Amino acid sequence: MKLFQVRKGQFVYFNNELHKVYGVKPMYKLSIHLIKLRDLSQHITNAASVERYIPREDDSFIFNHKVYTLRNNQKPAAGDLILINNPVPDTLDHYSLNEIETVEKIDSKGVITSDLNGIKHSEYLLMVPGRAPDSHPIDYKDMASVDENLDETETQIIHPYSDLSVQLGDVYKKKDHDVLIEAMVVAIRGHTVFLGGGLEIQHEELMNTDMWEFQYNPFNN
Amino acid sequence: MNINKFKENSVFILSLFLTLVFIVWGAFFTDNLTLVTNAVYNGSIDYLGWVYLGSTLFFVIFSIYLLFSKYGNIRLGRKNEEPDFSTGSWLAMLFGAGMGIGIVYWSVAEPVTHYTTPPYGKGFTVDAADTAMKFTFFHWGLHPWAIYTVIGLALAFFQYNKRLPASISSAFYPILGDKIYGPIGKTIDILSIFATVFGIATSLGLGAMQITSGMHAIFGIPDSLLIQLVVIIVGTVLFIISINTGLERGIKYLSNAAIILSLVIMVLILFVGPALTVIKVFFHTTGLYISDFLHMSLRLNPFGGGEWIASWTLFYWAWWIAWAPFVGMFIARVSKGRTIREFVVGVLIFPTLGTCLWMSVFGGSALEIVQAAGNHELAKQIAENVNLSIFTFFDRLPLSSLLSIIGFAVIAIYYITVADTATFVLGMLSEGGTLNPSNKIKMTWGVIQSAVAAVLLIAGGLDVLQTASIAAALPFAIILVFMCFSLLKGLESEIEIYRGKKRSVQHS
Repeated sequence: MKLFQVRKGQFVYFNNELHKVYGVKPMYKLSIHLIKLRDLSQHITNAASVERYIPREDDSFIFNHKVYTLRNNQKPAAGDLILINNPVPDTLDHYSLNEIETVEKIDSKGVITSDLNGIKHSEYLLMVPGRAPDSHPIDYKDMASVDENLDETETQIIHPYSDLSVQLGDVYKKKDHDVLIEAMVVAIRGHTVFLGGGLEIQHEELMNTDMWEFQYNPFNN
Repeated sequence: MNINKFKENSVFILSLFLTLVFIVWGAFFTDNLTLVTNAVYNGSIDYLGWVYLGSTLFFVIFSIYLLFSKYGNIRLGRKNEEPDFSTGSWLAMLFGAGMGIGIVYWSVAEPVTHYTTPPYGKGFTVDAADTAMKFTFFHWGLHPWAIYTVIGLALAFFQYNKRLPASISSAFYPILGDKIYGPIGKTIDILSIFATVFGIATSLGLGAMQITSGMHAIFGIPDSLLIQLVVIIVGTVLFIISINTGLERGIKYLSNAAIILSLVIMVLILFVGPALTVIKVFFHTTGLYISDFLHMSLRLNPFGGGEWIASWTLFYWAWWIAWAPFVGMFIARVSKGRTIREFVVGVLIFPTLGTCLWMSVFGGSALEIVQAAGNHELAKQIAENVNLSIFTFFDRLPLSSLLSIIGFAVIAIYYITVADTATFVLGMLSEGGTLNPSNKIKMTWGVIQSAVAAVLLIAGGLDVLQTASIAAALPFAIILVFMCFSLLKGLESEIEIYRGKKRSVQHS
């Protein structure tokens, strides 16, 4: 019998993949509500089928389709994500274990997140985009049984910031051209992006802010 | 000292210095302090009463205006921000923060004291009982919550929508611009800290007095000044430990427990006490309160004596104002993601109903015991020993020892949570509105606020507590009036942003 108390916020392995517990409803048979970190999908299970993992420095994992490495000694910058692995909230703060928040301001004692929580430097690990070579991948509990190659998943990660990756319907304006060109993304195949008006360019080129500038997306509002 | 370092910490150093001067004055020249506070007290009756009455009524009108104004749909935070707390627990937290120790302290004492010495008319009569309940509703009703609405809304709005630091001076950004970071802004912050220290010290003083009385009633420990000071010292040590060991998470559970226990005690009294009378009192007094609202709000008695008004109405208004930066900061913190309309309903209307209900349960039952039974001796006894009032009242009800123990637990928990949260708020205010106040500064404020409470108790107990907060809150009352105008200006600019956003969506 497994006597393990699952708590909100813990990282756990479920079906060999890394999940985060976002809720525990003790009265139910399936009492553990999980969110899969890789794609933020929701799952439900019981305490016996999960196994706890405590994230530490130099671990790398995929969060919302992008890969990050946890670092302790690096200074965060505004816009970076942090994993609050050692929460010591002040009386008026509102955050808990393993929450992932965006840094808004940095001062000598800690950072202030976009949710306006004051978090001391000792309370979090910085999530640095990309999988560092010296890192320890924690996406799967048992690497051997995974057919999928981690390097392959890495190539799928086009850009660490979701706001900067291409979506259907995005309207871009060409910057290094005298004639005004504004075009909408109508199709994406692999790394090739098809824009309205028959333009066909590589993803890297579209992401180069000197050449193309994102305007707006009429479908996202 | 390094000039730059001084500039950075000037708010902390100057406000600490001011408070220390006061503590030294009170500890070593106690007679002189009593003399001066008495002079201030008398002066406040003659010269300052109208300032408090006028500004507080203005806050009520201003809050109600906001409720119906075009600004009602502005959300505190980002446009699509979700509230952090469910509506139920949000309301419970607001209620607990705003009233805390005070509501347990005064809920029996105030109606009964008014009943023995009413503001007008003869004491110990049915009319006196009505008047007593009416004025209790008045002192705990819309006015305090309007003060909190104004300051909480200003703090929340400038913090979440304008992304300014969490300090009182941020609320003056539309008027002062970048001067909020200069001497004017710092003066505002220093005055607000000074008022807050006294507001908190008053509450801690009342709390310590009541905890001591509670221990006297339950365990037979002597009810003396020495024990009150011991309570303050033990409380200080406890929350310093909690700051240093990360037990602060426990404080959160404690404050939730206090709110739940308060509700339990209220429901228990409703069951074992005269429930029907309580319901009648609630309806009857609500009617009286609404119909005499303006009369009470501006009542100054110019051709008679003003002592009653000074020692009750003015004291309460001053106490609420002194207490406001603390509660305002708390309210702002838990209200992210609410719209302004929700905010005003949640901070002004619901807690007012809640306190009125609470006062009906406690005050109504107590008055029933003293009036219906003609028990005038008991009324005198309660009015003379205010600290013990709630325990004296519990003694007359069934399940009295259970009620006493729960009541004592509620007071003790409120004491420790208020002291703990107060150190955090004072730390934020004195470090330029940072959300990461350092532990050293928090501990300094913890010791200081306890010391102020102790000095005030040594200098003469309740009277000095009341007088000190009347004096310390006055500059802050005026700051609050200006804050309303600043808030209006800020809201106006926000509504333009809202309109602008809509237009750009339609065009694209």
